[in-house]
Amino acid sequence: MIKNYIKTAFRNLLKNKGFTAINILGLALGLATCLLIVFYVFDELSFDRFNTKADRIYRVNENVKFGGNEGIYAECPAPTAAALKSDFPEIEQVTRFRQRGGNQVKKGNLNIQEDNMVYADPTLFDVFTLPMIDGSPKTALSTTHSVVITEKMALKYFNTTKAAGKVLTFNDTSLYKVTGVIKNIPKQSHFNFDFILSMPSLSESKEDAWFSSNFDTYILFRPGVDAKKFEAKLPEFLRKHAEPQLQSILHMTFAKLEQTGDYFRLSLTPLLKIHLESPTKYDMGNKGDIKIVYIFSAIAIFILLIACVNFMNLSTARSANRAKEVGVRKVLGSSRKYLIAQFLTESVMVTLVSAIIAVAIARGFLGLFNQVSAKELAVTPQIIGWLLPVMIVFVIVVGCLAGSYPALFLSGFQPIEVLKGKLAAGFKGGVFRSSLVVFQFAISIFLIIGTIVIYNQLKYIQNKNVGYDRDHVFIVNQVWTLGNKAKTFKQEIKQLAGVKSATMTGFLPTSGYNNNSSLFKDPVLDSKRAIQSSIWNVDEDYIPTLGIKMKAGRNFSSDMKTDSSAIIINEAAAQLLGFTSPANQLLYLPMDSKAKVMKPFHIIGIIKDFNFKSLRENVTPLVLFDSEDTGALSVRINSTNIPALLEQVKAKWKAVSPNLQISYSFMDEDFDNNYRTEQRIGQIAISFTTLAIIIACLGLFGLAAYAAEQRTKEIGIRKVLGASITGIVRMLSKDFLMLVLIAILIAAPLAWWAMTKWFLQGFAYHQPFQWWVVILAGISAVLIAFVTISFQSIKAALANPVKSLRSE
Amino acid sequence: MIKITDLEKFYRTEEVETIALNKLSIHVNTGEFVAIMGPSGCGKSTLLNILGMLDDPDGGSYVFNGIEVAHFNERKRADLRKHNIGFVFQSFNLIDELTVFENVELPLIYTGVPSSERVKRVEEVLDKMQIMHRRNHYPQQLSGGQQQRVAIARAVVNKPKLILADEPTGNLDSSNGNDVMELLTDLNEQGTTIIMVTHSEHDARYSHRIIRLLDGTTVMENIMI
Repeated sequence: MIKNYIKTAFRNLLKNKGFTAINILGLALGLATCLLIVFYVFDELSFDRFNTKADRIYRVNENVKFGGNEGIYAECPAPTAAALKSDFPEIEQVTRFRQRGGNQVKKGNLNIQEDNMVYADPTLFDVFTLPMIDGSPKTALSTTHSVVITEKMALKYFNTTKAAGKVLTFNDTSLYKVTGVIKNIPKQSHFNFDFILSMPSLSESKEDAWFSSNFDTYILFRPGVDAKKFEAKLPEFLRKHAEPQLQSILHMTFAKLEQTGDYFRLSLTPLLKIHLESPTKYDMGNKGDIKIVYIFSAIAIFILLIACVNFMNLSTARSANRAKEVGVRKVLGSSRKYLIAQFLTESVMVTLVSAIIAVAIARGFLGLFNQVSAKELAVTPQIIGWLLPVMIVFVIVVGCLAGSYPALFLSGFQPIEVLKGKLAAGFKGGVFRSSLVVFQFAISIFLIIGTIVIYNQLKYIQNKNVGYDRDHVFIVNQVWTLGNKAKTFKQEIKQLAGVKSATMTGFLPTSGYNNNSSLFKDPVLDSKRAIQSSIWNVDEDYIPTLGIKMKAGRNFSSDMKTDSSAIIINEAAAQLLGFTSPANQLLYLPMDSKAKVMKPFHIIGIIKDFNFKSLRENVTPLVLFDSEDTGALSVRINSTNIPALLEQVKAKWKAVSPNLQISYSFMDEDFDNNYRTEQRIGQIAISFTTLAIIIACLGLFGLAAYAAEQRTKEIGIRKVLGASITGIVRMLSKDFLMLVLIAILIAAPLAWWAMTKWFLQGFAYHQPFQWWVVILAGISAVLIAFVTISFQSIKAALANPVKSLRSE
Repeated sequence: MIKITDLEKFYRTEEVETIALNKLSIHVNTGEFVAIMGPSGCGKSTLLNILGMLDDPDGGSYVFNGIEVAHFNERKRADLRKHNIGFVFQSFNLIDELTVFENVELPLIYTGVPSSERVKRVEEVLDKMQIMHRRNHYPQQLSGGQQQRVAIARAVVNKPKLILADEPTGNLDSSNGNDVMELLTDLNEQGTTIIMVTHSEHDARYSHRIIRLLDGTTVMENIMI
């Protein structure tokens, strides 16, 4: 019996190759997309779970509001960790990281730039699960000038993982002893370092400064501690330890500080939420975004729904043609039970084939997907472990659902009626089918609108006037490694033909440092008279090199001796201070964290605002100091032969620093890199949108064919009575296009709401939601739908009516 | 009015070629009522389809009202058809989703008759067919005889010169069948040319002339007086 089912099913599928292909392909595509997204989402959700004590680890954040600035930072004051450990018995262990920039690491005669470096406390291995393959985790980080490296680096620099005891040279000068080799940190970690330097090497780590926050601090609770209850004890803890320093700096207590509206607090973030839901700034590594996980999950579900709906719709539609077979089988003695079994077998078979194809497609596109999403997803035995049962359940559920309608409906027919061809009327089921089409297209239109908005915003960022000119500027990084030769290097570069100007500083709008401090209008530490501002050290070439415009006053000048105490502020700072011209205005800067020395600076100029931070944020106050910083050298060029000029620069570098490699980048590329995440989301969104549309169209194509088939007789009659082909096409297309229009009406407001709220508001600088986007999306949806439908409509309209009207 | 000469039509499937019409020649004058008879598969329906310009012949000539239409394209045929020919089918072929009124109105819409004129003409013809009281019913609410009257109403609403009827009484009982034949006879007497395919000798006796087909060609013509 089963053999007979499978045979009929197989022949039936072969007979309707087009239908079968659409059906299988649609479901397979949807399922494959869904699989890829599921891999992605699972990867995002698996961050930091490799830590065996993950559920007991929390990061301490600092919540600050002071001088008009407000924020939550991932970094805490240096003494926080030790004080927490000694005050609270419920804390089992604490550990700190101190972020630092990259270094050049010597291998033979070559110096190689390495960026994944950090300082960490000796307790690191008590808190995080970082298995050590050589060396002792107990002592590895407890002495100065020791470093723990990853397996990868051990192999790179020593060709062996047994590297403990060997020595590394940083920046050609300082020697660090390798005291341990750990396994490579899993990709699914919110921090990813290759060189972990011992914290005792850093004197700052021992300072008792409660108002300088540079340490990423983690605590490991003893089992069973309630973090919420613990968090409530933190204000008292902070008062106890930090109030003396607050008194000496600002002459006030915490209570008083809070009364003025400012605050300084500590909070906790669970380790497992750091990657996706960290509320803080200055996190280590690349942060994920729970929003993206939600969006992608929703898209995955939607695409799968579209595909399943299609599959069911098409299976049902096609089964109308099977009525005769059902009749014959019934006349020959088949019971209803057998017929139901037959239809379900067929449907499950098709689903199974789709699922197999889907896995193959997903596997095939994994590489491309990894490239677009910047992930390293792989099909591991664990994944197969849960995927296989899920797929089997999926095949059975979708197969049965899709097969159930024809199975139950057709098998219930009286054979004589079916044989007389009287079933057509029962198969209309219009409203349900129509709502499914509306649903599919609403999703597609939503995705089209979303994609256009994302692309628009990216283009807007590209073209927005950011207040400085990032084109034709290249940046030589780590000029500080040249030491006192840095200035000479700058002078030599400036003299090269093709170089317009050059400025030496690490404070750049596209990359590099930032430094915040409070400035005061009076020589008194009064928070009411303070502004929180970014403090950037630049030289007199900075403003012309970056093409920043002056609003009032003048630039720094090397001719003016007094400029060592001169500052230039931006419009945002001027506005906050209430200054319109720089004339005779002073600002005071506290010269150390505890003492009360306030140094006056006179404002010599106001620059027009430029976006010195990401366009996600508004322009905040910025104060430029005329002070040497050798972080990088930015060079504005007017040469057309960039490669030749670069060669000259490299030669100059080689001359002053024969052992260290030059590292350079272009400012416009650095700028684009800041929006990589958005670009990535844009690309993924475009792929998903395309897929959703393809799948929806496959469904529409099938349904249009079905509808045309259903109406063959009507079309025949109308043609006999004189209807034109265009008239028929119009008639057939009209109904579907109506549905697409309804879909637009549903999708447009939803898309407006979602894109405004979820995406655009993430940018301080964004275009408002533009209605032409909806119109464009609508028109494209209608066009796509029309092309899809018209193929079937035209076919139906061209068919010879004689065939459909033959009365048998 | 109709003059076909050496008309040929083949049906091809993958393996076999069937000759439906084999060099058939027929002449029908304006105002005639002709019955076409013959066993199943003799080519009656094919002939009717070609006469109705629903299908094109593979060879031979078809002159309709003095115009050679054998090689007309679909558009021209449709145009000629909708102004000149009305169809009556055995299975009525009414559109289930449209009411009696709307079904009858359809040909007028396709020939571009203005709305007020349409109402007038549909009502007129429904009245004549005595189904005015059913104007807002759907086809499936009517008896077979009533449905066929609607179908005839639809066929004549455009005042065609020629009515092609394909076994118009085939799905009806004898009483309803006779009514339909009376209606056709009335139309013929008012000047409409009628060509009817039928299996029924009884129905054929309403016509002026019977053309008997066998294997796609004329075997006999009886003049009925």
